[in-house]
Amino acid sequence: MESRKIYNRISLIRKEKSISRKELAEKIGVNFQTIGYLEREEYNPSLDLAFRISETFELPIDIIFSTKPFKTISEF
Amino acid sequence: MRQNKLIIRRIGIILTFLSLFSIAAIFEFGVTTKCENLLEIIMFIFIGIFLLSLQITFIKTGLWKFTHKPLAKLDERELILTNKSLRLAYGIFAVTLLLLLLIFSVSERSLSIVLVATLIIFAHLLPAAIIAWTKKQ
Repeated sequence: MESRKIYNRISLIRKEKSISRKELAEKIGVNFQTIGYLEREEYNPSLDLAFRISETFELPIDIIFSTKPFKTISEF
Repeated sequence: MRQNKLIIRRIGIILTFLSLFSIAAIFEFGVTTKCENLLEIIMFIFIGIFLLSLQITFIKTGLWKFTHKPLAKLDERELILTNKSLRLAYGIFAVTLLLLLLIFSVSERSLSIVLVATLIIFAHLLPAAIIAWTKKQ
């Protein structure tokens, strides 16, 4: 079964919180290259990893991940 | 840039496997020919090509290390990647080995130590080669 694409705001939130890819990778226990894959939406994280990201950013999971593309400011 | 790197990696993989099996073929069939000196030179050239392409394509890129890492040191994306490559590598290796066994049994030849050693190296390189061949990064 082919899984759906999961959209995320990891890159945006990470930059907002001034965290480097390496720091985020260390905090959630993955290779820093995996952060790149996540940010480019080339890899769908597991539920466990998604929760770890949400706990690190201290934000609800649905703010970070969505099954639909996030709206840009001009689209509101 | 990414596309160029992928092409270089693929050429490296082809050279590695081509030289590896050429070395085995020379060992296997070289004894029946009369030009031993020429074959020795060719074999040393192939050994050189094999070592160089192995270094550039598998060791320097960290792919060899990556596919031989303990499972506990891999994250979930890396685990999926290695699982997929191992699954494909298993299929390719099984078919190659069975075909070789069929050819050798039909021609009533026995497998030499060199060929067995070649197959062991081939089996260890295959998962890394699949990742290098398919992944853009």
